[in-house]
Amino acid sequence: MKAFTSLTATELRLLLRDPASMFFMMAFPLMLLVLKRGESGAVPGYIAMIAAIGGMGALPGVVASYRERKVLKRLAATPISPVLLLAGQLVAQVVAALAGAVVLVVASIVVFDVEAPRNVLLLAAAFLLCSVMVCSLGFVIAAVVRNTRGASLIGMLVMFPMIFLAGAAVPRKALPDSLRQIGDFLPLTPGVQALSDGWSGTAAVFPMMILAGIIVAGTAVAAALFRWE
Amino acid sequence: MPYGSPSHDALSMEAIEVRELRKTYGGTHAVDGVTFTVRTGETFGLVGHNGAGKTTTVECLIGLRRPDGGTVRVLGEDPARRRRALAQRVGAQLQESSLPERIKVAEALRMFGSFYKRAVDWRQVMERWGLKPLARKAFGDLSGGQKQRLMLALALVGDPEVVVLDELTTGLDPIARRETWRLVKDLKTAGTTVVLVSHYFDETEALCDRVAVLARGRVRAMGSPSEIIAGTGTASLEEAYFALEGADR
Repeated sequence: MKAFTSLTATELRLLLRDPASMFFMMAFPLMLLVLKRGESGAVPGYIAMIAAIGGMGALPGVVASYRERKVLKRLAATPISPVLLLAGQLVAQVVAALAGAVVLVVASIVVFDVEAPRNVLLLAAAFLLCSVMVCSLGFVIAAVVRNTRGASLIGMLVMFPMIFLAGAAVPRKALPDSLRQIGDFLPLTPGVQALSDGWSGTAAVFPMMILAGIIVAGTAVAAALFRWE
Repeated sequence: MPYGSPSHDALSMEAIEVRELRKTYGGTHAVDGVTFTVRTGETFGLVGHNGAGKTTTVECLIGLRRPDGGTVRVLGEDPARRRRALAQRVGAQLQESSLPERIKVAEALRMFGSFYKRAVDWRQVMERWGLKPLARKAFGDLSGGQKQRLMLALALVGDPEVVVLDELTTGLDPIARRETWRLVKDLKTAGTTVVLVSHYFDETEALCDRVAVLARGRVRAMGSPSEIIAGTGTASLEEAYFALEGADR
């Protein structure tokens, strides 16, 4: 436990030192909020976007670089399992996304008078599921794509269209019909749904079950395909 | 540990015992029947050119690879079955391994220290290996010699009985190399068993009590550097190696 706490704390510090992650997970959502003049319905989508930027935009490149630069191998020569490093990376991404989300929510309430979430617990559960779900997809990308550049690039290529088509960065209502239909099949869409419903105080049972299902399937696929070197 | 338990073997003369080790990658025999023993407290060299099977042998010693044949015992245990337990007692510096670019020297030492049951205080390790002035420097900003010094310190933060060092000085300038040699000699003085893997013959000659010369997955010669040199009637370990290789062809 001591080892895991130490690994996770280190991973979190490394993430905080990454200017790109910090900008896209903290400042960028706030900028969007300002551009939207604090439109209340946008905030849950932005939370999903923050999680996706971390879990799919950043995580695959980090994990692939740990493999390519033999960081995982070095850890395999210690008494701990290198799986702990991956778990530490997951927790760090979730915590960083949570920090970005809290900043965004507080700013929307304080500055833009957005109505506060009706059910914080429900919102938190939706956040956790959404955030872990995108990380599980990030691990699948890191498992399938071998090198660091490739994993970063594929992560971005998957993440960017998804945040637009799933209704995270822009509401799906604003999309043309054909694009909106694509969103029905994207894993981030139930994430946005669960967060929106959680904000307004209703439990999105079906979307949350889908998120849980993707987490299980994604983790299984990543574990089966992951190459340690 | 009660008297007579398996780890009592650690007190015996042999820290490492390798018998008829074989490892094959897709039809190529990377290691083809290697046998050697390393005595407790000695500095043992595995020397040979790239592709001789040194790294594969070492990776079997620390349980990163499972041998296809033969037996390996480190401190009386089988590394392939007891990797994590053995890792508490065996430190390793792996070829070309690295750390996240942005991790700081002190952070890395503290983090690795948390992995071990009987870790030395990481601050002491940092101090002793001259890393204190670099405590707040990021791994990516260190010079080659500084990185190696840190990787060596990380191999020692768990207070190991056996340390495996794979290509410790490759890519270092001559000054950093000599500096690293001094650190390895300090280990020996402290009574630590060291396995030193190198393709530098002068390094092996200068540091090792005994050496196994590897070529194409087999042990070509074994003994103290002076024995091997005398045995081949040459003037240095490097010349001895080429004499052995030439005689073999």
